[in-house]
Amino acid sequence: MASWLGFGGSSKKEDTTQQTSQINNNLGFDPSSISDVSSIISTPGGLDTSRLHPLAGLEKGVEYLDLEDENLTQLEGAQGLIPSRGWTDDLCYGTGAVYLLGLGLGGSYGFFEGLRNIPANSPGRLRLNTVLNHVTKRGPFLGNTAGVLALTYNLIDSTIDGLRGKHDAINSIAAGAISGALFKSTKGLKPAGIASGLMAGAAATWCGIKALLA
Amino acid sequence: MSADHTRDPCPIVILNDFGGAFAMGVIGGCVWHGIKGFRNSPYGERRIGAISAIKARVPVVGGNFGVWGGLFSTFDCSVKAIRKREDPLNAIIAGFFTGGALAIRGGWRHTRNSAITCACLLGVFEGVGMMFQRYMAWQNKPIAPPLPDQQPLQ
Repeated sequence: MASWLGFGGSSKKEDTTQQTSQINNNLGFDPSSISDVSSIISTPGGLDTSRLHPLAGLEKGVEYLDLEDENLTQLEGAQGLIPSRGWTDDLCYGTGAVYLLGLGLGGSYGFFEGLRNIPANSPGRLRLNTVLNHVTKRGPFLGNTAGVLALTYNLIDSTIDGLRGKHDAINSIAAGAISGALFKSTKGLKPAGIASGLMAGAAATWCGIKALLA
Repeated sequence: MSADHTRDPCPIVILNDFGGAFAMGVIGGCVWHGIKGFRNSPYGERRIGAISAIKARVPVVGGNFGVWGGLFSTFDCSVKAIRKREDPLNAIIAGFFTGGALAIRGGWRHTRNSAITCACLLGVFEGVGMMFQRYMAWQNKPIAPPLPDQQPLQ
């Protein structure tokens, strides 16, 4: 603009030298000295991830088990052992873990029971089948029972959480008592009461373990 | 295809799938066996018939679903770890192994047929999923913003 009006030519030249030195400072190299792109890329420090975008946190690498913050549950006291996105996560993880635990315990019990019950002087195929039959009899039975109990417990626990607006040990124990009573409700009052007490105890134990680990 | 960030990372997602499949089986089994027990009971005992059918059969249905889902997830994670990529072929391979593993006590022929059936089923699922994804992408395709009305030249 200045040159167009016919004066101030010298100040413009000063301006451009200042600009180029500023650019050199920002980039770490002199753009006018570079003729092709590959030399920029191969410049050491030219493509440093921490300098490219400091806010993106690229230098931290892959973060394991890092869920989006806004997706995590905001319920008071619900920040458990693993990040949870709400009641469906609690339900799936709780049920899956308890089911697997039951399956493993029942399966190992059946395994040893099968080992004890192997008929004498039997061929190898019969031995294998005896053990497998006992494992598949005990494992799924205990796993299914434990899984159904855990499913009921988690559903009731999440419901109470939602109603009370927070997640604590009282909810867990109450949910355990209700689910135990519901599980044995067709057998009569006394078995229902016993099952209720057992489940409440199990829930209380779990809360204690969680408090110790967290 | 990039990783699916709505699901948890691999080893721990097996627990989630176990529980999710088990819950699905239990809830679906409650409806199924409730109706079945209700219909197959004599008049006057229909409610108790439905409840006893649910009590007897639903845990088994849930367990079958859960074991299938958990095994599938385990194989899916293993295949992902070995192949180091995520594509529809993973699910098909995992389905093949799942079907085979669940039928392994029925003899070689049964195992083979079950594995192939399961792989085909998973292939169909993946195909339908990809078609659906395509359709959604087509529906949400970027549209050029409407041009502003041209002013008449003066």
